[in-house]
Amino acid sequence: MSKAPGNIVSAEVTPRKSSFKKYIPFLLLAPVFVYYAVFWLWPVLSGVKEVFTDLNGNFTLTGNFELMAESDLFGEAVFNTAAFAVVSVILQYLIALVLAVLLSRKFKGAKLMMFVAMIPMAITPTATAILWKTGLVRDGWINTILMNLNLIESPLVFMDASGFNAVLMIIMIDTWTVTPSVMIILVAGLQGMQRELKEAAYTFGANKWQIFKDITLPILKPSITTSIIMRLIAAIQVWAIAVMVMGYSKVPFLVERVAFYVDVVPGVDTSSKLAFTYSFLTTVVVLLATVLYLRVSRQGDKRGGEKT
Amino acid sequence: MMDRLSIVQKTVVSIFLAGMMLLVVVPLLFFSTVAFSNATEMSEFPKNLFPSFNVTVLVEAADDGQYEIFYDSGEGYESIITTGKADKLEKHFRRQYSVTVSGEQLLEDFARTQTEGPQEFTYKKDVFYNFKQFFNIVPNAASALKNSIIVSLLTILISLSIGSLAGYAMARFSFKGKSQFNVAMLIVRMFPVVGISIPMAVMLIKMGLYDTLLGLALLYSVPNIALTAWITNSIFIGINQELEEASMVFGAGRFQTFMRVTLPLAFPALAASSMYSFLTAWNDTISALILTNENQTLALVVYKAIGTTSSGIQYAAAGSIVLILPALVFTFIIRKYIGQMWGGVEL
Repeated sequence: MSKAPGNIVSAEVTPRKSSFKKYIPFLLLAPVFVYYAVFWLWPVLSGVKEVFTDLNGNFTLTGNFELMAESDLFGEAVFNTAAFAVVSVILQYLIALVLAVLLSRKFKGAKLMMFVAMIPMAITPTATAILWKTGLVRDGWINTILMNLNLIESPLVFMDASGFNAVLMIIMIDTWTVTPSVMIILVAGLQGMQRELKEAAYTFGANKWQIFKDITLPILKPSITTSIIMRLIAAIQVWAIAVMVMGYSKVPFLVERVAFYVDVVPGVDTSSKLAFTYSFLTTVVVLLATVLYLRVSRQGDKRGGEKT
Repeated sequence: MMDRLSIVQKTVVSIFLAGMMLLVVVPLLFFSTVAFSNATEMSEFPKNLFPSFNVTVLVEAADDGQYEIFYDSGEGYESIITTGKADKLEKHFRRQYSVTVSGEQLLEDFARTQTEGPQEFTYKKDVFYNFKQFFNIVPNAASALKNSIIVSLLTILISLSIGSLAGYAMARFSFKGKSQFNVAMLIVRMFPVVGISIPMAVMLIKMGLYDTLLGLALLYSVPNIALTAWITNSIFIGINQELEEASMVFGAGRFQTFMRVTLPLAFPALAASSMYSFLTAWNDTISALILTNENQTLALVVYKAIGTTSSGIQYAAAGSIVLILPALVFTFIIRKYIGQMWGGVEL
């Protein structure tokens, strides 16, 4: 098509187009709305309905929650989930922070180390569980290493761990997998930092710790807070490693209970109610964390806005 | 900054970093050793920490044309089996040492010991024996691998087609309720998948899609559509709008412009967000557990294999190596974008 007719056509069409244009974004968004109405809103609503009806389909406000509270291992599941979320997030952050600060320095091999440090996060959770299971069994590689280093006389038994020790073990495995992704976020935050700031502080006689505390940490603060909440949301939903390494009911977590009632005791009426109620509880906790996230990120935006 | 550190500080930092690297590398190394170990090596303790590729046995001629096989698992040669039957030898070597040599060949080799006395024989291990065994022992492993690939591709297709339209709309148009829409997408993305998996199963049964790959892909697409919309939104914002306008001035329609100008420019990032979708579908276990019965995915099959083949965890390990490889490759391809999502980090 030559230029001239094209121009004429567009000039003629412009007024009609602009009235049509208003609807384009909604046309483009329509598939998303339809999809989420069918495959998100509907399941969510019917899930909520299940939680607030009893086995006969009558409305009950607290019946299923009482059922859940009385079910086996409910207290342990709540405690373990809370303990896991708090301890794992703190531990992962400390390690990731140190690694991020050290690896974002420019030195020989930093890139290679970053590459190696990223491998665990690329590994499928199921595979991670098998990886650690082959290590934790009595004749596994952890005991082999400890024996070779002459640190222990006879093999340790890890798989019998129970209570908080078992939770700690799951935390260790989770830390191995998750720390790299936290590190990447922090490295991203650090790369946005201007070197001049640090250099200036250094010239004025600030020591390493002061620079870290007064410059590095404040700059990292937005990426730390947002990603801590993201981590919390993921940590609340822990289950796969616990079940695959230790087995069901050994280290109860909220989502582990959901999987337990779906996978181990399906078919029983109460078990599906319990699965619904546990997943409802998990969802509520996660949504609370999401609200917190939105609050924090809004504040971050505002602060950013004030600066400019 | 590095050169301003004292020798002591440098040493401490290097030791710390080396320790961290060991913590990452050592488990991976020993895990792959397990995946390549034969049954005999698995029963040893302490174990080999590096994979071995050969098996050495000591053979002594016994009466009646039989041979006594000795194996050294660390504390000198021990008598393992005495037989003269070709099929028994073949089976023993295959099961215990992952050596796939025919029984006749073994007997022929061992014949020397009748005249020359006890001798050591070294055979090459079948390196992929555990992998073959994984697909043999777990009945639906091969179809599960196929299922995983199909589900992942379907997830990419659904989330990319629906998500990128929304992302484009959010980047190029201003409309009422845009910020509310953004928040809604975020909530959907954060929403725990377990929360919708069980009611989704009920719904899919009604629709006749329970235990189908499409049903599974429909669930995986829920968080991924929102994620794709979010990623593509920032990409389309980054693409110079003047290019699009220029294309339209020359008479191309909006659709044509999108296909000819915008899409090629956005392609690398679209590929990245596709890989995200792939990874969610590929790595998931719980939804597959809830939504499937016969048509299982590879992650689910491997997960179930841990429970059932406790005697041969090396086979499950081999299966999970198959599971890891695509995830590993894709994660490293998109690592640039993981950083970009958090503000343009270079990795």
